[in-house]
Amino acid sequence: MDFNYSPAETEFRLSLRAWLADALPKGWGETVFLPSDEHEQAMFRLDWERKLYAGGWAGINWPKEYGGRGATLIERGIFAEEMARARAPEPINVIGHNLTGTTILAHGTEAQKKRFLPKILSTEEVWCQGFSEPNAGSDLASVRTRAELKGDKFIVNGQKIWTSFGQYSQWCFALVRTNPNVPKHKGLSFLLIDMKSPGITLRPLRQISGEYEFNETFFDNVEVPAENIVGDIDGGWKIAMTTLTYERGPEDALGRQIRFKQELDQLLRTLVRHQRGAGHAIDEPAVRQKLAKSIAEIEIVRLNALRSFSKLESGGDRGADASMTKLYWSHAAQNMYEVAMDALGPIAPLSGSDPQAAALGKFQMSWFQSKAFTIYSGSSEIQRNIIGERVLGLPR
Amino acid sequence: MNFAFDEEQVSLGDTVARLLADHPALVGPDLDQAAPTVWQALAELGLFMLLVPEEQGGAGLAPIDLTLAVEALGGSLAPAGVIATLLATDLIVQHGTPAQRDTLLPQIAGGDLRFAVALYEADRDFDPATLGAAVDGGVLNASKIAVADAAAAQMLLVIARGRDGMGCYLVPADVAGVTITPHEDIDPTAGLCAVRFDGVKLDESALLGAPGLAIARLIDTAASLHAALLTGIASRMLDTAIEYAKTREQFGQPIGSFQALKHRCADMAVSLDSARSATYYAVWAASENASDRARAASMAKAYAGDVARQICNEAIQLHGGMGFTWDLALHRFLRRAKVIEHAFGSTAWHNERLLQETLAMLAAEDEAGRAAA
Ligand SMILES: Cc1cc2nc3c(=O)[nH]c(=O)nc-3n(C[C@H](O)[C@H](O)[C@H](O)COP(=O)(O)OP(=O)(O)OC[C@H]3O[C@@H](n4cnc5c(N)ncnc54)[C@H](O)[C@@H]3O)c2cc1C
Repeated sequence: MDFNYSPAETEFRLSLRAWLADALPKGWGETVFLPSDEHEQAMFRLDWERKLYAGGWAGINWPKEYGGRGATLIERGIFAEEMARARAPEPINVIGHNLTGTTILAHGTEAQKKRFLPKILSTEEVWCQGFSEPNAGSDLASVRTRAELKGDKFIVNGQKIWTSFGQYSQWCFALVRTNPNVPKHKGLSFLLIDMKSPGITLRPLRQISGEYEFNETFFDNVEVPAENIVGDIDGGWKIAMTTLTYERGPEDALGRQIRFKQELDQLLRTLVRHQRGAGHAIDEPAVRQKLAKSIAEIEIVRLNALRSFSKLESGGDRGADASMTKLYWSHAAQNMYEVAMDALGPIAPLSGSDPQAAALGKFQMSWFQSKAFTIYSGSSEIQRNIIGERVLGLPR
Repeated sequence: MNFAFDEEQVSLGDTVARLLADHPALVGPDLDQAAPTVWQALAELGLFMLLVPEEQGGAGLAPIDLTLAVEALGGSLAPAGVIATLLATDLIVQHGTPAQRDTLLPQIAGGDLRFAVALYEADRDFDPATLGAAVDGGVLNASKIAVADAAAAQMLLVIARGRDGMGCYLVPADVAGVTITPHEDIDPTAGLCAVRFDGVKLDESALLGAPGLAIARLIDTAASLHAALLTGIASRMLDTAIEYAKTREQFGQPIGSFQALKHRCADMAVSLDSARSATYYAVWAASENASDRARAASMAKAYAGDVARQICNEAIQLHGGMGFTWDLALHRFLRRAKVIEHAFGSTAWHNERLLQETLAMLAAEDEAGRAAA
């Protein structure tokens, strides 16, 4: 147990910090912020990802041969800390990095690795996730989107839903049914689908925040080359489980913690300055207790991730404990945004560009967005089932 | 950077847990069943020499090396004097004069000197700065409460205000003017006592460390290690609950198959794991005197306090009527956890301190940012 960093790790931190100071716009996080328009913001975030790549900071712990930096998970942890410190924007191609890339690294062919991984890192190809369907959410194995192998192509028909960032994506990985005549887990395959393929239509869905981050995705006789399957035909469930382990795992949690920590720090700074009566918003004793609990919980999201990293670095398995990671961060963050609304007092409902709104309405937007945390990547109830049965060994 | 315990740290925890398991009375239902030989057994194992530097005959380890052992002390409801003695050892190692170190540490290493910490007072709150105990002209007057294991201690570590501020004083338990009276309280096995100091004459060497500094270290180390005691208790209660959930049947199936219980067990497991992350980091920060030592300590104590409370309560609920029986002895963990929650700062006090430390950190960052610009 030692939190001291080696000289090489410190060197990594300092060179990243220096790079960040140059790469972000002047006054970033103080006077200059993300564009408020949803589309412009997405473009800005994609640009930022390209910049990170050009600077050599994409795929910190991915193998060098596919364009990564070949560093350790510890350095990945440092990377997250420095991104938080610099208030760097959140990436959009998270699905590409954390889900597609990791899944292809684990199960893909050499040709697939060479073809897909470098373009994820360079953000030439943004990815979306085609798992959920209108009738298959928590019960993911009951997906019905059909893929039939005809010659050297799969023909895909059906519908996916809640496809986040579909509108920015060049590629989609999808869980599809290749065999309807066997038990539901045994007839699934994992396909990589070019979003430019004829027959794909997207329909945006509006979210409670008012944004349009996710979509319905329709597949109408979409042709997918047979070599774009990951794993075996009808062997897709195993591959999808790997994807979910990464989706719920410590790298994902740590990436998100960057934003939670930034916003919590920003909240605290706002409350210290915001006048209320003879004092400031921070003085409210009941709120102080809640703020402290959130400070602890958001910090623990990071500590939990680092503990998992150490386990993985010493050869531990990724497994059901990813569900523990996900359950924890989602509720910690959701609580934090509730506390933010409590703490803001009378100005809490004021949002967006209202002149009295705090921090350009960021806390209100995040509060809305946080309602999804306990639903996507497997709802909390599903995580609790997994933890109860697979970690604690309770009967089904 | 490595956030995992090494083999020796893990094996020390296992060894202490196994030794304590040989003293089942420690966790039995009755409050008057002492385990008189447990101190001696721990001493023979060498527990008390671990934090003592090699020069004084010890192993020269740091608190972080003992974290899992302290969890085992917590989960086995070991006598409170054990942790008090480890805390005093750390304080003497870090802040003692050469003379204090040379006289006290070898006795500690051999298990011949047992400590109790006299901190709180009935009419003051958890903030040590508010205490009324005073040392004036070398004479101590104080009225302390909830001094764990005081009746068994040979040496009392007393927190009192001296000429130069709030200090830690070493006072032998048997000197004139010291009166030790056991309390009536929720956990008699913690040995809580009221301790009066009426005109107790202190000798020159009584003051341990610089006023202000030593007490700050004591609070941080104590908060971190008491968080470890709490995770130890919580872990044991959760194991017990899960075991019961697997075996007890109602409606023709194990109760653990009901989602209402399964989900709460899952939540408890996640809370416990998270309390451990906070606790392990805090003990490391105390061991290294890291710049965020106080913040980490308060975070751990407050968080682990909440988690231990949640898990003790839920574990009793999950056992139904059995959980409420004296004989199942779950009450022993409930009692001890509540005492520890109120030792070395409550959850609310540590939360407030955590917020203050965090705001100070942000202000310093902003200051540094302005200076750089
Ligand atoms: C913002 C957002 C973005 C998303 N992005 C994507 C994406 O990019 N790609 C993708 O494929 N999917 C995405 N999803 C979908 C997400 O994975 C699903 O919404 C989620 O798995 C839940 O499925 P469902 O919506 O069908 O709800 P249901 O499965 O119908 O669940 C409804 C309720 O029932 C509960 N429930 C269900 N089964 C059980 C059970 N066995 N025990 C106890 N309770 C149960 C659930 O917890 C939930 O509370 C996204 C969702 C959101 C909100």
